[in-house]
Amino acid sequence: MNKKLMAVLLGATVVASTMGSVAFAEEEVVANGEYTFEIIVKSYQSSYWQAAVKGIDSEKEKLGVTANSNGPNAESDIADQVQMLMDAINKKPDGIGLAACDQSAVLDALQAAKDAGIPVVLFDSGVPDAPEGSVYSTIATDNYGAGATAAENLYAALKDKIAAAEAPVRIGEVNQEATSESITSRGLGFIDKFTELAAADGHTVAVTGNDYYVNNCKDKGDEASANIIIEVAVPAQTTVELCATEASNILNKEDVIGIFGSNQVAAEGILTANGNLGVLGSDPEAYVLAAGFDAGSTIKAAVADGTMFGAVTQSPLAMGIKTVDVLTQIANGEEVTDLPTDGYWYNAENMESDEIAPNLYD
Amino acid sequence: MTNQKTVTAAKKQSSLEKLGGQRFIVLLVIIGLAIFFSVMSPNFRKYTTLVSILDYSYYIVLMSIGVTFPLITGGVDLSIGTGLICYSLVGGYLITFHNFPVWGGMLVTVLFGIAIGILNGTLVAIMEIPPFLVTLCTCMITRGLGSIIVGGFGITWPTGTQPGAWFRNIFKITVAPRKMLPIGIVWVLILVLIMSYVLKHTKIGRYTIAIGSNKEAARLSGVNVKAYHVTAYAISGLFAGLAAIAYSAVFSTVQPGTGAGFELEAIGGAIIGGVSASGGQGTVTGSLLGVFVICLLKTGLPFIGLQANWQQIITGLVLIGAVLIDVIKKRRGIE
Amino acid sequence: MGDVILTMKGIDKSFPGVHALDHVDLEVRRGEVHALMGENGAGKSTLMKVLTGIYTKDSGTITFEGKEVEFHNTREAQDAGIVIVHQELNMLGHLTVAQNIFIGREFKKGIGIDDRKMNEEAAKLFKRLNIDIDPTETMSNLTVGKQQMCEIAKAISHEAKVIVFDEPSAALTESEIEELFKIIRDLREQQLGIIYISHRMDEIKVITDRVTVMRDGTYVGTLITKDCTKNDIINMMVGRVIYEDPKTHSMVPKGAPVVLKVEKLNAGKMVQNVSFELHKGEILGFSGLMGAGRTETARAIFGADPKESGKIYVNGKEVVINTPEDAVKNGIGYLSEDRKRYGIVVQKSVAENTTMATLAKFVKGIFIDKKKEEKVAQDYVDSLATKTPGVDQLVVNLSGGNQQKVVIAKWLTRDCDILIFDEPTRGIDVGAKNEIYKLMNKLASEGKAIIMISSEMTEILRMSDRIIIMCEGKITGEIDIAEATQENIMNLATREIG
Repeated sequence: MNKKLMAVLLGATVVASTMGSVAFAEEEVVANGEYTFEIIVKSYQSSYWQAAVKGIDSEKEKLGVTANSNGPNAESDIADQVQMLMDAINKKPDGIGLAACDQSAVLDALQAAKDAGIPVVLFDSGVPDAPEGSVYSTIATDNYGAGATAAENLYAALKDKIAAAEAPVRIGEVNQEATSESITSRGLGFIDKFTELAAADGHTVAVTGNDYYVNNCKDKGDEASANIIIEVAVPAQTTVELCATEASNILNKEDVIGIFGSNQVAAEGILTANGNLGVLGSDPEAYVLAAGFDAGSTIKAAVADGTMFGAVTQSPLAMGIKTVDVLTQIANGEEVTDLPTDGYWYNAENMESDEIAPNLYD
Repeated sequence: MTNQKTVTAAKKQSSLEKLGGQRFIVLLVIIGLAIFFSVMSPNFRKYTTLVSILDYSYYIVLMSIGVTFPLITGGVDLSIGTGLICYSLVGGYLITFHNFPVWGGMLVTVLFGIAIGILNGTLVAIMEIPPFLVTLCTCMITRGLGSIIVGGFGITWPTGTQPGAWFRNIFKITVAPRKMLPIGIVWVLILVLIMSYVLKHTKIGRYTIAIGSNKEAARLSGVNVKAYHVTAYAISGLFAGLAAIAYSAVFSTVQPGTGAGFELEAIGGAIIGGVSASGGQGTVTGSLLGVFVICLLKTGLPFIGLQANWQQIITGLVLIGAVLIDVIKKRRGIE
Repeated sequence: MGDVILTMKGIDKSFPGVHALDHVDLEVRRGEVHALMGENGAGKSTLMKVLTGIYTKDSGTITFEGKEVEFHNTREAQDAGIVIVHQELNMLGHLTVAQNIFIGREFKKGIGIDDRKMNEEAAKLFKRLNIDIDPTETMSNLTVGKQQMCEIAKAISHEAKVIVFDEPSAALTESEIEELFKIIRDLREQQLGIIYISHRMDEIKVITDRVTVMRDGTYVGTLITKDCTKNDIINMMVGRVIYEDPKTHSMVPKGAPVVLKVEKLNAGKMVQNVSFELHKGEILGFSGLMGAGRTETARAIFGADPKESGKIYVNGKEVVINTPEDAVKNGIGYLSEDRKRYGIVVQKSVAENTTMATLAKFVKGIFIDKKKEEKVAQDYVDSLATKTPGVDQLVVNLSGGNQQKVVIAKWLTRDCDILIFDEPTRGIDVGAKNEIYKLMNKLASEGKAIIMISSEMTEILRMSDRIIIMCEGKITGEIDIAEATQENIMNLATREIG
């Protein structure tokens, strides 16, 4: 219950703050000194985080500040990241940017930063229980909203087909896991938005599959009476192969008309499964429509050639840039606030545009 | 009298061995699982599902063929999983960013695998460091090394209409839309036959078993134990390299920092297939069959609607079962 | 005996702190079985390692077939024709007999190995040696005796001219030893030179032509076997006359109470309906061939292996023993035949080994009371006459006999009144053996009850007050020492049943 409530509130705040972020982006940031920042990402080894580092690097040159970026091998190397954070504090920089791997493991380090008088800016993921006054600003994608974005676009494309369907239809959702905040928010955002839109058109929706998602969505419905079934799959391990197996299982069903993969691995799993099945395309009448998340050359290629109907991308590049901006502003002594960033929907048409293209990393 | 008894007991055992022993049981398990999943899920019966199972099995089977050799020496190779990703990243990086022809990238991938294998073997056989420790270290090293070389980005080997995408046809030919021929299984079976021959009928195989059976005895018999011990690890590295190619061909993006855990499926498969956890015993065909048990479970369990946690529990139980068979066999042997 | 084939002269070898060989001589002729004797640590093994190239000598000469030679590894020695059949069998259990014999020099066919030819050649070898073994059988399926035959076949297949047998009979049954001797005589006929290392005096008399005795790394002398007595050899070995005489009658006082009673014990094929009684102060010998079920019986009583049925009474009360822990609680101790595997931790000190099973007694607070531990260990070192520089010495550095004493001390600390000795003197040299015997007699006279499992007939006859004979898992007879002879024991040990 609490989670649901939180999700609703989160969704509401996002809508409110989206406007704020637009206004913010237009301010010109200037560094009033030779600042040094330490920035720690979740993992130094993924395309996503490399795009963020790219943003950090370009912005620090633009502003003429020093920003050293670092990060553990994998997002699961929590202890390594904490160590890096402690090292960063010991270097006494003008500010620290952090994408925390674990919400609770960094608490002591955040307290230490506060004691040392070093301002911290969180990006990508927030730390709800951070010591009062340690975190100056949180710059994070609204994952719940990003999942909803995927649902809006997928529903719009499938609307007519659903209306015309005589038997219940099925929408699949592949989530890499059911534990991390960002992935579960996306998955629930998609389910809730899709349910909301369908209900507005007089349809009934039921959610089946993975217990976590079924129990934490707003309305799980009743499978027997529903005419739209959202089936949520979570693989036993976070590998492409197992995501693909889960996706094949859903795509093999006769009544499936759409599917959503909530991160790069899940989306690529859907594409891998389709390699043998050949059921995905961009025409809702002939094919199953797939929505993905994030970028990478495989997903980009699939969106470009119409195999994947479209995908939501976050803006790691923009997040990197904004992190350096906010750190600089803090060092300047300016007031800063939290800063949610958006997920953008992209498809074959708009993916080359100036707004989208820079965020589509390979 | 006692002698006669032992001889007849031995004869009985060998007649069961002729049936293939544990391999025969594993084959029955595979058939049983296939029937069970087919009955429980209509979608499992589809040809495309078979193709998928094969697709996702190649890299594990190849790793498993290779790791059978260090396992039989009484050692282990934990570096094959992260190694696979590392070799694939480096090969793909050279193709994508340095205009290497695909065959060149494949060659580098395999050679890199062999090099890490020889490094493992040298540390184990000549420096006499425990295999678990050595390969755990190379596991970590390869995990970091791959990322450093490619600069942290995911790598996609040529795909679709790109030049060089032909290499994906090594494992799967599309004859018509939605009609695939999983010819990878042919190459895998040929490799299984070759390595079976190597294990059973060449010096490499004979001495691999000898090292696992009684290393000192082999040494006192004038066998160049160190060289053959290194060779066992080199074979493991070679097949991790081949597995890297299979992985690159079947999956699109190779992500740095992944791969840990692949080795457990390969090693688990080998043990299900009858490789003794204490060395000296094992067959390549057994390892092949063992991996198929794991692959069938991995595909079948989601198809019958089991949730993630249950899949892991059942796979774990099957592994314990396999190791128990090994232990029970040993006990019988002692009695 | 033919001409001299091998001469080792003035061989000297030192290790840091130890002068292992001090100008040792050895001469072997063609068609001779030459015994090499000495207590453990006398330098026999070192000498053989120098001969076969495992160790490099510091000085001295080795002349083989008239030429001075120096081997750098076993391979070179093998190629020249000097082969060693090891005491600890060097078998590759997972390979077949033929694969074992030709390991390291397989016949090739293309890129593969010609297993068929290897099987044929192995079969020829066995035919020549008159041994019935299937070359395609997996080695681990063979009995220890047969495995040894394979070792010999392997040695001969090297076209050996000199074969060294290092305690070949240690793990063999009496009938297997007979078979071994037949083969050795055949080899002698074929003019090979044979070096035979053994602790068993009887065998030396039976099979060898000459005896060279070593003591403390020095050469003592060479005798013609048929011209000397056992005691001559022993005196040369130990430098003093020892040897307890065989018991002629039971030393157990009349009416001594029964401390252990076993009734209809069953545990698998090797223990069927075993019943017997053990008295206070008695040494009860368990005789039989290898695989007769004696060790299995002991392990079942001790709770190391599961029992199917049967009752055990200690001091007249029925007890339940399912684990070794239960056994110890009831005052039963078991000294395994395989000391290194079950009895001691060789990398720990004498004191630590002594108190290992009773550590709780030596704990003060949360710490181990080192002083108390050392004192108790020292007491046992003194009372058992264990030869060790100190109780802090690592057990690995002690000789076999002294290691055995540490094991005994370990059980005595647990106040065990019933002690099961399984092959108490296996691999222990004559001098130390005698001390173990003395010790066992002393324990018995102090009222301990002892079960002694032994495969050595002389040991059984020397030590037992009463003898139980087993065959194929069943007790086939019980003889009082006064009536026991080798013949009537062997008779019962080989009796057909059912």
